[in-house]
Amino acid sequence: MKYPDLSFEPFFTWANRPKILYKAGAREELGFEMEKLGGTKVVIYTDKGLVQAGVVDMVIEAVNESSLELVGVYDKIVQDARLDLINEGTAFYRECGADCMVVVGGGSVMDTAKAINILIGKGIDDFAPLAEQVGLFDDAQPLPPHVAFPTTAGTGAEVTFAMVVLNDIEKVKVACAHPYCNPDLAILDPELTVKLPPKITAFTAMDALTHAIEAVTTVSANPISDGLGLHAIRIITKYLPEVMKSPENVEARGYLLIASAMAGMSFINSFTGGVHATAHALGALYGIPHGLANSIMLPHVMAFNLEENPERFVLIADAMGVNIDGMTSERAAKAAVQAVLDLQKSVGLTETLKDFGVPDDRESLLHLTELAMGDSQVSYNPRYLEEDDVLNLYLKAR
Amino acid sequence: MKYWQDETEPVKAFVTLWERVSQDPEFIDGMKKVNQLIWFNYTADGPNCSFHVDGRDGKFIVAPGKPADEPNLTMSLSADDAHLSWANKLNPVMAITRGKIKVKGSATGLLKLAPKLKKVAVYYEQVLKDLGWEDKMAK
Repeated sequence: MKYPDLSFEPFFTWANRPKILYKAGAREELGFEMEKLGGTKVVIYTDKGLVQAGVVDMVIEAVNESSLELVGVYDKIVQDARLDLINEGTAFYRECGADCMVVVGGGSVMDTAKAINILIGKGIDDFAPLAEQVGLFDDAQPLPPHVAFPTTAGTGAEVTFAMVVLNDIEKVKVACAHPYCNPDLAILDPELTVKLPPKITAFTAMDALTHAIEAVTTVSANPISDGLGLHAIRIITKYLPEVMKSPENVEARGYLLIASAMAGMSFINSFTGGVHATAHALGALYGIPHGLANSIMLPHVMAFNLEENPERFVLIADAMGVNIDGMTSERAAKAAVQAVLDLQKSVGLTETLKDFGVPDDRESLLHLTELAMGDSQVSYNPRYLEEDDVLNLYLKAR
Repeated sequence: MKYWQDETEPVKAFVTLWERVSQDPEFIDGMKKVNQLIWFNYTADGPNCSFHVDGRDGKFIVAPGKPADEPNLTMSLSADDAHLSWANKLNPVMAITRGKIKVKGSATGLLKLAPKLKKVAVYYEQVLKDLGWEDKMAK
């Protein structure tokens, strides 16, 4: 394939944090690395599912084999980073006398922990006013030592300097950013992801694929995000089906973890678009897990966006292994949408919004649409999205 | 300042822009939903370089200077960056992450208007033309 001429904004920025450590079994490096960061008394943030699956014990074992002291395990985190649990988790850190955190979990756990560390760093106890501020860059200072072990290959939250917070009372999700909220160190240890159930493996990987695809097609795409995003797409397309066939294939799991981190680095710097805007609203109002909501909306938003910059979708088709030689760019771009649909089908992701009770009449979809239109990511969609467009996308995704 | 001769020019341009925007039913509706008193603070470029928009309780009042009441949201940036922002030449999220736009208060409401920036830019271009300031068009 001849590489197309691609334009990008004449000015862009790129932030590169955190350090990443990759190895099957890399958790054994935790003590050495945390000591370098200055942490001694550790609180682990996680969820009950990971405790029951024995995954947290694998990390506790690594803590116990080091000079670190485990002073508490907070396992109450549930789907989405919720304001009440952020505040409660902050109090827990202080009660335990901790001076550092180790985070074991997926996006909800990692985002909750980011917010907790901001409160610890600032010496305050309520995250609600900070979440509303959206950007916490003014006078931001480095935060206490923070190491994360992602246990899903999806959100990339271990590398992103933002968190999505659910206000469960107002039923709204808000993305909030802080330059030091991501961990000082992300340890990618694929052995911690082996017990992840197939369904969650599939839709979290689709989350990562969505990050990569939106990062490559957003109005803010740039050559660095293109490089990371396109290679993440290649890896996910190749290794997700292998992991679904052989869940204990640590090497394939490792590739997915790496791709997830790459996609995270890509989208946090170039932003996302209509898939995320519509998915955040679906999560807030209907409780659909973020990765699954992204997966459902992805092909519909892609099809809507094709006409705006087809050459970028051609790159996606190519990265997904479609033989585009001899195709017109229009046909090759459409092939990218089909490749996504084929991948979803092959891994058993066939849900639509209907399965989650999303209504089909326009009147009932107005609030959902309004929420999506107020999302910070909607402005970065490559094709200008009007209210009516969003509403129609929801109808198509039913 | 790169685009302005003195602190009165940006205030004149932006207040005129918002007065124009306040005639558009789409924005009237949007500001009602935002329901905030917003202070656009450019005082780093001059003590009087600011204006405010009061969209509380169904109002849509635009006036120069700092509001008498405590604003729900203060957006602080340079008058040049504000010019780029209204011309839709400044990525607002990127500007916040770089500390070029400082946000105090709840920005979630105003985010709902972010998708309208393209339309605001069209108004802004016309306002600059009407004021005889075509030379200030953002490149």
